[in-house]
Amino acid sequence: MIEQNSLFSYETDTIGNESSLSVRLGRIKLDNPVIACSGTFAYGVEYSQFYNTAILGAVTTKSYSLKPIKGNPPPRICETASGMLNSIGLQNDGIDMFIKKHLRKAEKLGIKIILSIFGQDLEEFRKVASRAADVKERIIAVELNLSCPNVKKGGMAFSAMPDEVEKIVSSTVSILNIPVIAKLSPNYQNLVEAAMAAKKGGAEALSVINTVVGMAVDIETFRPRLGNVLGGLSGPAVKPIALAKVYSLTREKILPVIGMGGIFSWQDALEFLLVGASAVGVGTANFIQYDVGKKIIEGLRNYLKEKKIYNINELIGRLRT
Amino acid sequence: MELLSGEILSNEKYSDNLYRMEIFSPYICKNATAGQFINVKCSPESVLDPLLRRPFGIFDIEEKFNVFSILYRVKGRGTKFLSELKRGDILDFAGPMGNEIDLNGNENNILLIGGGIGIAPLYLIAKLAGGMKKNVFFAAGFKDNSYLRWEKDLIELKINHAVLTEDGSWGEKGLVSDYVWNNIRSFKNFDIYCCGPRDMLKTLQNIYKDRNNKVTALLDERMACGVGVCSGCVVKLRKGKRGFSYKKVCKDGPAFNLGEVIFD
Repeated sequence: MIEQNSLFSYETDTIGNESSLSVRLGRIKLDNPVIACSGTFAYGVEYSQFYNTAILGAVTTKSYSLKPIKGNPPPRICETASGMLNSIGLQNDGIDMFIKKHLRKAEKLGIKIILSIFGQDLEEFRKVASRAADVKERIIAVELNLSCPNVKKGGMAFSAMPDEVEKIVSSTVSILNIPVIAKLSPNYQNLVEAAMAAKKGGAEALSVINTVVGMAVDIETFRPRLGNVLGGLSGPAVKPIALAKVYSLTREKILPVIGMGGIFSWQDALEFLLVGASAVGVGTANFIQYDVGKKIIEGLRNYLKEKKIYNINELIGRLRT
Repeated sequence: MELLSGEILSNEKYSDNLYRMEIFSPYICKNATAGQFINVKCSPESVLDPLLRRPFGIFDIEEKFNVFSILYRVKGRGTKFLSELKRGDILDFAGPMGNEIDLNGNENNILLIGGGIGIAPLYLIAKLAGGMKKNVFFAAGFKDNSYLRWEKDLIELKINHAVLTEDGSWGEKGLVSDYVWNNIRSFKNFDIYCCGPRDMLKTLQNIYKDRNNKVTALLDERMACGVGVCSGCVVKLRKGKRGFSYKKVCKDGPAFNLGEVIFD
């Protein structure tokens, strides 16, 4: 039996007496709040050799553009204190390849897909969204990678320009007709404005944060450690930043948030839920602990059981300040 | 490929910075072969610094005893951590990763050219090819004599070899690439596997540019996931006449046709 002792409304428990982990972000309903982050999980097939990746709330694919992109020159990876820098350069084989080839493989495994897309201008975003619309029944949402550079506006990330965010979100929403998630960058001061703009454009939820811009230098050769000079920092080092950014948005109650940045354990995930994230993204941790997604789901389930909490939604946003 | 843990049976110091670690793992011994690597967590359980796993080419497999080993140089925090592990400690690793090298399709003569720690994955090729009764010759180059203990392993395999050191403290004085050039006729009908520093590989690429030998390079690159997901460990390969593409060392390699590699 489920005790109705919370202020939150939640889904009926489906697995006997087990606590319910299911969450909702607008129209997006997930069996549990654990999502694999874009760029760290391909589309879920590689990791299925370590565990059944269909148990994840969802898998966000790597970001796809209209045409294939070769990516940045190596080295693309540099380890830093409790973190790593990457400058992959959005390497991908194009949205058509995803639709023709990869999606079917993920479907066969029962993986719930959030398709991540990007473009170098509004036009490309629209074109990629039109292709994605062809498979909209086969995916649960589309995530817009708004941290990529806007080529028409001097290369600054779309995320830095709330007007652009609104335009891209609203036009992709009208093309797609399925939930659209806006993934925002932590590297600009106007995160709240960008989030409001995403809401105005019709986004269903927000993914926060993308990587934090950073660099490292080789003192022997005097060269940057990344081929692209600058990269994105991820891993445990960014978790406090990510929590604060998520908090800055959940406090304003703009849209449901998928909180991400340095989550390596169920305890990390719980911190994000407590500050108000409705779901969590696990990224860099997948590179180190290949079955981390499964471990986090199990950890959350055990925690609820131990604390006799019957629904995870009771914990979302329960931060005491 | 699986996430594994295995007991460390020994962690022998070969010289100041060089170690050979033996790990008990029936799974690796049964499933791994030449050219493959393992990805090792180089920090204590639940500790996330250093963060990333480190790839190590499999140095030796003793199937009879379910023991395999890696040869590693202490270079940074990760390998320092490994060097401090003791017999009986448990190693957290995943593998076998990367594509296997098929030695069946080869000429009967195999030349292995290793520079520094690049000799590690070649040693397993030497052992397996030797076991197939192929004629194997190992040319190895080092800065100094810090790999001296390794020669003992090679002698146990009864593999013909030449050692070169830059300081002349062991074997002949000179570079292994010069040795190969000076003896190019002796290795005319050999299939070649090489692994080592970029400069060595570049020189070998020039040496073998217009020759008919099949030359395979085992490459190394900074890696994050090791399973082909992150696209972090790419190398540049020729594509068509002028084009290029990036290939992942972990999933598409680590063995590549040396002639196709672009060293920028």
